[in-house]
Amino acid sequence: MKLTPDQLHIIEISPGEKIFLEGAAGCGKTTVGVEWLLFLMAQGVPASSILLLVPQRTMAKPYLEAMQIPGVSAGGFVAAMTMGGMARRMVDLFWPLVADQAGFARPDLPPTFLTLETAQYYMAQIVTPLLSQGLLDSVVIDPNRLFSQIIDNLNKAAVVGFPYQEIGERLKGAWNGEPEQAHIYEDAQQCANHFRSFCLEHNLLDFSLQMEVFTRRLWHLPPCRDFLNHTYRHLLAENIEEDTPVAHDLLREWMPEFESALLIYDTDGGYRRFLGADPQSAYSLKEQCTSQACFTNSFVKTMPIEALENDLSEILNPESHKPAHRSENIPKNQSDPRTALAHGFFRYYPEMLDWIAGQVQELVQYGLPPGEIVILAPFLSDALRFSIMHRLEDLHIPCISQRPSRSLREEPVTQCLLTLAYLAHPEWKDSYPLSKFDVAYALMQAIGGMDLIRSQLLSEIVFHPRKNVPQLTSFSIINPAMQERITLQLGDKYETLRLWLEAYQQEPPQELDHFICRLFGEVLSQPEFGFHTNMKSGEVTANLIESIQKFRWVAGDQLVQAGKSTGLEYLEMVRQGVIAAQYLRSWETDINDAVLISPAYTYLISNRPIEVQFWLDIGSRGWFERLYQPLTHPYVLSRHWETGRPWTDAEEISASQDTLARLTQGLLRRCRQKVYLGLSILGEQGYEQHGPLLSAFQRLLQQWQTEGEM
Amino acid sequence: MRLPKGFQFSQGSLQDYVDCARRFFLRYVQRLAWPAVESEPILESEHYAQLGEQFHKMIQQHLIGVPAEKISAMITAEELREWWENYLEYYRQQAMANQTQLFPEIILSAPIGNHRLMAKFDLISLQKDGSLVITDWKTARKPPQRIWLERRLQTRVYPYLLSKAGDFLNNNHPIYPEQIRMIYWFANFPDQPEVFSYDRKTMKADQERLEYLVEAIEMGDEKAFHLTDDKKHCQFCVYRSLCGRGIQASNLDTDEESVEDITSFDDRLDIDQIAEIEY
Ligand code: SF4
Repeated sequence: MKLTPDQLHIIEISPGEKIFLEGAAGCGKTTVGVEWLLFLMAQGVPASSILLLVPQRTMAKPYLEAMQIPGVSAGGFVAAMTMGGMARRMVDLFWPLVADQAGFARPDLPPTFLTLETAQYYMAQIVTPLLSQGLLDSVVIDPNRLFSQIIDNLNKAAVVGFPYQEIGERLKGAWNGEPEQAHIYEDAQQCANHFRSFCLEHNLLDFSLQMEVFTRRLWHLPPCRDFLNHTYRHLLAENIEEDTPVAHDLLREWMPEFESALLIYDTDGGYRRFLGADPQSAYSLKEQCTSQACFTNSFVKTMPIEALENDLSEILNPESHKPAHRSENIPKNQSDPRTALAHGFFRYYPEMLDWIAGQVQELVQYGLPPGEIVILAPFLSDALRFSIMHRLEDLHIPCISQRPSRSLREEPVTQCLLTLAYLAHPEWKDSYPLSKFDVAYALMQAIGGMDLIRSQLLSEIVFHPRKNVPQLTSFSIINPAMQERITLQLGDKYETLRLWLEAYQQEPPQELDHFICRLFGEVLSQPEFGFHTNMKSGEVTANLIESIQKFRWVAGDQLVQAGKSTGLEYLEMVRQGVIAAQYLRSWETDINDAVLISPAYTYLISNRPIEVQFWLDIGSRGWFERLYQPLTHPYVLSRHWETGRPWTDAEEISASQDTLARLTQGLLRRCRQKVYLGLSILGEQGYEQHGPLLSAFQRLLQQWQTEGEM
Repeated sequence: MRLPKGFQFSQGSLQDYVDCARRFFLRYVQRLAWPAVESEPILESEHYAQLGEQFHKMIQQHLIGVPAEKISAMITAEELREWWENYLEYYRQQAMANQTQLFPEIILSAPIGNHRLMAKFDLISLQKDGSLVITDWKTARKPPQRIWLERRLQTRVYPYLLSKAGDFLNNNHPIYPEQIRMIYWFANFPDQPEVFSYDRKTMKADQERLEYLVEAIEMGDEKAFHLTDDKKHCQFCVYRSLCGRGIQASNLDTDEESVEDITSFDDRLDIDQIAEIEY
């Protein structure tokens, strides 16, 4: 790759410099980061002494890829991690030194780290009894969302750096609605307090506690500090604007210890604000650096895209609008943003989706690689994802959905496994009475070549919830005519499965994950069964097993002591939606060869410029409004909000406008050629919609039309 | 064969290839998750794997400065306590504290063919006499035979990689093969460590073998990744249903050699295992 003189200057700047590099997306900052890293290594700096700090794991990808090529010199390995990852690792290593002073009840026992899922589980256990006592009674949302917002508040306290005991006070101070409603924040505080006490009592560490123990205790403990100082001598911090104030505080103190450092700051970022990102505090790190650089030239945008970005920004957020560098000498036809726009306006949502699929097909036919197209929506529901992918797959266009994760329980493979687990454990009958359809559906998945008609016929005959105990009877007692209809071959497989389940019941029950592991290996993945040679079934099963195993390792002992079955408790939690059992679909097509379908923010954070973007449903208010989260608040729980100051409607509107302006700007800075706007008058839910993004585009087009007529 | 983007060879993946080319193909080319039981009894295998992992962590804690008595106070499993005491004794005997430098849990990587070869070492120590010792902590329930260990790719890859990529651990001086020793230390048999010395000739042979393996993998088409003839490997392989090589996993106790294979939980190293988890 050819580097510009500015880029080269930074890479080769004398060793020992601490550089602050800022610039908008697409200006070549990450390229500099990668080359800086390789240059350091080529100068003999051991890779293992370089810390690559990223706010999110995916952001380390370009660096890791660059180091995987054979040309990179032999040596150690750069440590790529997030601040959360570092916190967890340090707490794990130095636990014996910190457990006592951090207030854990059993410092003589090892810590148990909670995942988001297991934290949600414990939160549900703690908060559900409080709800039945009337706490949070006026908040009408799904209890699982309520649990996750309380977890979110604790996380915010940890990453913003205020005591968790102040959550309620801060939220209440900003409340601007009915005074009698303000008590919900006291209730939320009470829930957080109970959860924290429970964690301390049982050596459980959710993300917030990991961060607090690390930043408030371990960081000040000489053995940990010496270890970090000794191990990491050079720092590369990427996208610091997406990291949290506590991470910035720590870097501020750490900076003098590094021999060299490169801090990369995206001037328009801060997209992870809902996770505590704080660009303002990130920018203050500039003073810690010995050398500063600013890149302004985009390697991505074309002239019309730049004009579009500029005009849209002026309309959406005129007060904070900074004109992009548009040369006065650009001929008007080259700066007309309309040349970078295409749009399709429809009455119904499916019509819009058809149009998008048709446009994508045309682009691909004209030679644009599918990997150069992204379809973006503010939120990506399962239904929407399915509708788009279905249309593209019909047109034989490879596509991949980049949704942060997807729930395992929606997968037919999982449903089959869980039904078979209920069948194998008749003692769980009260928890979930199986229906004939559940069994038919499971058999259809489990046995290769079994269709729904045959499996329904079979389950009608063989499945008997006798004395309320679910049971399968033998294929041999079915009348011969019916056996023929189902086919003997399928009957034979059914018998293998039935006998396996029967034999399992003769033995003492096993852990649910072990049961599924055996069932998968010994039956379902064997030749002529449904999971044999089915890559996806293996992946889904593996993810399910992992989720159960993590749950068992964390909660198993306590449940056994309480006389409960860990497997049944897991199933209950999945059914109630407490445990979402989410997973990433890794078997899907390589991201580089397929049309990407993604929520807008997820795409922004993946930092991947692309030729063509489709913006779906631009009339939707989802482009503009925050998710409804009554118990938490990303702005109020930040460092920049004064406790006690009410959050007014005007502030909400201004924040939303700012968010929309930043979002559209961020997207356009990652687009090389063209944006396709999809609009349907009736939205996904069938309601008429006219959000601010649509109005902005209408104004923009009108302005240019008028200019053209003059 | 086009290997997945970012693929790096490790002793684990190469051992898989040597044991069964098909397994290599399924695990690293297709990246096929196939969650069958690997070895029986499943609960016991899991328990041992967890103890082994804990033991490795305790040693790392100790070597980075957490006082031994603080670590000892947290042990709850009897077996682990025994291992730990054996380790402390070994630590004292070896006078590890007086050695020049200790590098626990270090990753090295070097180019090989069109890819890279990497390994995670439990411990590399630079001795006062300038030699470098690789120590691998093993928690196997039976000590494997020396000849078996000698053939393992781990014994071939680790010293090779240290010589190729470890200069920075030797104050930036090249590491000659003769400076290297590799020790397998067994927590259950502390008095029976297996020590392997290294020399130029062995290193040359290792390099040729490793390059040959990598080339064979890079050049082979799918058909070249055939099922192993040695069906013993299938007894402890999760893909047995896919290959039509049996139904149930075998018992760990029945196969002495495979014990070590399966209880090495750090040998299937890949980049995802190194990278961090976010919240
Ligand atoms: S089951 Fe046997 S043949 Fe198949 S991959 Fe495993 S070891 Fe190879």
